[in-house]
Amino acid sequence: MFDQIGFPLLITLKIAGLSTLIVAITGMVISYILARRDFRGKWLADIVVTLPLVLPPTVTGYLLVVLLGKKGALGSILYNLTGWSIVFTWQAAVIAAFVVSLPLMVKTTTAAIEAVDREYEYAAFTLGRKELDTALFITLPLAKKGILAGIVLSFARAVGEFGATLMFAGNIPGRTNTMSISIYSAFQAGNNELANTLVIILIVMSLLSMAITAKVINNWKI
Amino acid sequence: MGIKADFRKRYYRKKSDKRKGIEAAFTLDAQFEVGDELAVFFGRSGSGKTTALQCISGLLEPNGGKIIVNGNVYFDCHKRINLPVQQRSLGYVFQSYALFPHMDVKKNIAYGLKGWEEKDKEERIDDMLQMLDIKGLENNYPSQLSGGQKQRVALARALAPKPDILLLDEPFSALDRVVRMKLREKIKEIQRELKIPVLFITHNHVEAFTIADKVVVFHDGRVQQIGTPEEVFYHPKNCHVAELVGVTNIFEDSSVIKDDEMAGTLTIGCENLKITAKRPDYQVKETISWGIRPENLRILPVTDETIKDENTLHACVKSMVNKGSSKTLALEIKEHENLMIAEISDQFFENLNLKEDDRCLVRIERDRIVLF
Repeated sequence: MFDQIGFPLLITLKIAGLSTLIVAITGMVISYILARRDFRGKWLADIVVTLPLVLPPTVTGYLLVVLLGKKGALGSILYNLTGWSIVFTWQAAVIAAFVVSLPLMVKTTTAAIEAVDREYEYAAFTLGRKELDTALFITLPLAKKGILAGIVLSFARAVGEFGATLMFAGNIPGRTNTMSISIYSAFQAGNNELANTLVIILIVMSLLSMAITAKVINNWKI
Repeated sequence: MGIKADFRKRYYRKKSDKRKGIEAAFTLDAQFEVGDELAVFFGRSGSGKTTALQCISGLLEPNGGKIIVNGNVYFDCHKRINLPVQQRSLGYVFQSYALFPHMDVKKNIAYGLKGWEEKDKEERIDDMLQMLDIKGLENNYPSQLSGGQKQRVALARALAPKPDILLLDEPFSALDRVVRMKLREKIKEIQRELKIPVLFITHNHVEAFTIADKVVVFHDGRVQQIGTPEEVFYHPKNCHVAELVGVTNIFEDSSVIKDDEMAGTLTIGCENLKITAKRPDYQVKETISWGIRPENLRILPVTDETIKDENTLHACVKSMVNKGSSKTLALEIKEHENLMIAEISDQFFENLNLKEDDRCLVRIERDRIVLF
């Protein structure tokens, strides 16, 4: 029972939670820079960040293996140094979830920051506050609805992640069998009862997170 | 102490234009000095007054020149000095107030007091609330305030860190007339009390006239005239300034027919129009521009045969606009192609009983003619 339902649920929450945490932080930094700074090659940075949104997840997974696998460009260095490879570990699932959900966070948050009137920031500058200070206490708080939306979307995307995770982290019982992957396995094995249970749990989880988010946003005045 | 400014700021249509040497789409060339007084930047939208204010504040970087405030160099192109906004001691009030919507009044005012001792901070906030008569509002959020209250909070926030100068960008444009009048008085009072340079932007000539110690007139990116409100209002230097201060009827480059020093009069002709004005106290050239305010035109009934002088013309009413307490008339005269705009009080208008296409006499008061 635990192996079939409990473990996939816990590992999914762990992977999606950790990946969303990293996505939220890096996403806010990248979004702020994209929204407020002008630099050469900005269009390229934008494309690189957005790419996983349009690439098929299997392609993203394949590229991750090529880059971080035992024989990959970066992975081989890591393997030679430590004798450890990230492929087929839960950490690999976190990376896969991070890569595919980052664009959702960045797109939503960039739009939210761009919508914040620059005069608030100028006012903060004239009151002696530095840019970092202003970003943390003025810009991001005023963009919080968009940021929360980005976080929720990223979490949902991470929970639902399948293709890239399967390629990069595999489907190893007791290690990387997340909910999405377990549903597929159960369905393949003809275990409809298990598939149904897992599907219902995921639906309930999704509905709950949406309801909570809507409630939180409604309570925010600004 | 005060502000000494002489700088240029260029705007290009495209970023690459500057590199390619294509001429700037707009150039601001600003030169002025302001002491511990209330100076009004006066001009139309697009004349460069907001750009000038943003250059002084450091929100924009000029392309050349110098800005010195109270002896501190804020900007010097040659010495490559461009002090960051944060290090310039200034209070800035934005047209839209820019109060932080997620902070209450007290937090808004306290925002510029980072690094102050808690006790001093509390005291300063209290002083500011007192000074701007907003005590009791400290726990309200900006969305719960009226326009006038928001403006007072914005002023309190700008003044709390004891800035060297106060910059106000069209601060009252969104307020109704009564609130605006009260706040004008408040700003004047604050300037008298703090004795710091205050720069105030407006496009409203009544506002400029009532509030200013000094008026700096902007037009087309250039400072056209600097002077007391009286100087600018009664002795505009050129047609741009004249138009801005409400001299609607302008006749440019009229020829001087007769300069009679004995009688103290100047006779001017343009097209078929011949007008006698009071002689100015400076030597006139061959041509001169002149104008008259709509409210200084006298309208008389055609039947009034008693008045016969060269400044009285036959006119025809082309259109009429009711402004409530007064009427604005557009008058056609046969001597000149320009329509004359006259403004007359309601009471006076009733006696005349004029309709569109009616004929009347229009008299240009000799003493009221503005020469430039």
